[in-house]
Amino acid sequence: MGIFDGILGKKGNTPSAAKPDFSNVQSGGSSTAPAAPEPEVTNGSGKTYVVVSGDSLSKIAKREYGDASKWPRIYEANKDLIKDPNLIYPGQELKVP
Amino acid sequence: MYKTRLGTAMLVLTLASVLSTACTKRNDNAGTTGTAGSVIRVSRIDLGRSVSADKTIGGSTDSFKPNDTIYASIATEGSAPAATLKARWTYQDGQVVNESTQTIAPTGDARTEFHVSKPDGWPAGKYKLEVLVNGSSAATKDFEVAP
Repeated sequence: MGIFDGILGKKGNTPSAAKPDFSNVQSGGSSTAPAAPEPEVTNGSGKTYVVVSGDSLSKIAKREYGDASKWPRIYEANKDLIKDPNLIYPGQELKVP
Repeated sequence: MYKTRLGTAMLVLTLASVLSTACTKRNDNAGTTGTAGSVIRVSRIDLGRSVSADKTIGGSTDSFKPNDTIYASIATEGSAPAATLKARWTYQDGQVVNESTQTIAPTGDARTEFHVSKPDGWPAGKYKLEVLVNGSSAATKDFEVAP
């Protein structure tokens, strides 16, 4: 028991558990090339959204539609990418119909 | 007599076949060139603390301080009516720091600049910039932040 407590205790105190917070990173850019018209439209019927850390389908639905309960629309449009609607990953490019 | 005529005929047929193949190949190459003209390629990534009006980096470096604004200048070749350049900045084991996208319509060589800053300072460690063209990874550049 004591041995297991020691192991569990050590595991719980692992410093790598705390990841740095990059939510306040500011970004921008520009180019010598002219901008293409309507950069967000990629599939002709909607736009794409790139998942960032902390996102969920309902958060994206809230941001895009103003209604978190409309997350199934995004899930249905991205079933080829999303196996479990509770699990999306940073960097995933989701179609927003 | 017959043998000589048969030999000549075979020679003519062989030559005709070779000429036909050569002409076909030349046409294929012309098609490929036309297709290649509508794509772009990343030829170079430079990192630094400032960028000039022509989007080039003044003093290229891959080592930064926590309070630096980090600039990336991406050189591309080729032309396209619309090409999406994405800069994906990651920290250490792949934690995404930031992603930003620009959709450009280059008509030849171009420079595109991305920059990131963090008001409370970058954590020390190793970082990576990955550049994606139309969703496909095109180039990467490693750098570090040291206190």
